[in-house]
Order: sequence, then C-alpha cells, then structure tokens
Amino acid sequence: MKIDELNKKKIPLVKINKDLNKYKGKVLFKKKLQKANELLDRAKLPHELNVEKR
Amino acid sequence: MKYHKYEYTADEELHFYEFTSIGIKGEIKKVVEYSKMNIEGYYNLAFGDFDEERNEINDKIVTNNGDSLRVLATVASTVYAFTGKYSNAKIFATGSTEVRTRLYRMGITNNLVEIQEDFEVYGMKSDDTFEEFIAGEDYIGFLITRKKK
Repeated sequence: MKIDELNKKKIPLVKINKDLNKYKGKVLFKKKLQKANELLDRAKLPHELNVEKR
Repeated sequence: MKYHKYEYTADEELHFYEFTSIGIKGEIKKVVEYSKMNIEGYYNLAFGDFDEERNEINDKIVTNNGDSLRVLATVASTVYAFTGKYSNAKIFATGSTEVRTRLYRMGITNNLVEIQEDFEVYGMKSDDTFEEFIAGEDYIGFLITRKKK
C-alpha cells in the first residue's frame, strides 16, 4: 500500500518510537490537565457515561 | 478526516505522539499527550509545540504555521490510535484559550459526519452540562468516546 493510500485510512498504523517512552509517568501539559480536571470536577457528566467521581 | 495527516510516532503505551508540522514558518515539532484525569477512565487530550531550544513543551505559543487543519487531522488520527488500544477511554479536550476551543469545535464540525461513524461526541456547555455535539453551538470542552460495535 502506498503512503497516500495509508494516509486516507481512518485507522492508523502507528509507528512506535521507543525514545518517547521517556515521557512515561510525566505530565507534559500540566496546566491544561489542571484546567481540564477543574472543568470535569464541576461538570454534570452525560448520564450514559456517568461514573462516580473519585 | 478530509485533510491529509502528518506521519507520527508514538510511545509503546500510545499515550504520547510526536510529529512535525511543516509550513510557512518551517518545521515545528508537535507533541500530543493523553493524560489520566481525576475521574477513572477519563483522559485529557492536549497538544502543543515542543520547544527544541528549551527542550520543553510550549503550550501557549501560537504557531500560525498555516497548516492548522492538517495538524488537527493528525491529532484526530491519534484519537483513533489511542482508542484502538483503550477502547473504553473517555477523552476530554479543551483549548488553552477560547480561540483554540473554537478551533477544535470547527475541526469537529467540519468532520462531524465521519467522526460520528465511530465516536460519540459531546459538547460541554458553559452551565457545566454536556449534550450531544451540535454544530454551531458554543462549547467550553469536548468529550469523545468510541462507539461499541
């Protein structure tokens, strides 16, 4: 399969780069995560996805 | 997605992705991250530029590299990759600014029919409730889950 055809596929073939394992356990976008948690902590989640918040 | 994507690589757990944006300002390394949130099963989707000089992420910079649709298409592709491995994950995303949140909304709206073939998409309203994503509505965040097939 050519690259152009691959590019049109919705389900991607993911190339693993072990160098990125250096990020494991880290949060790179701390402020974004903090903001997202603040938003969801006060949100009323969709009932079909409802879970008990920690 | 209707737009071409950049090729990207990922760590072995598919929580981090890297690709290079190529545009009018040159080549800019981008990083996409899926972080566990306070609620079990929920992940925050964030992406931004990797500052090669400082060797750190810069999530404030406005790149204007002229390829925002292609960048969004690439990020959307990582959603397929991530949920391919973590099929029950709920992915939440919000922009670092209102402008960016609107950009995300446009990206979803422009590809809504295709996205909804595989995902449930919700918009978070300013009153902190969610509804099924409606094109043209204003949202402060987005929640995406893979449809069960």
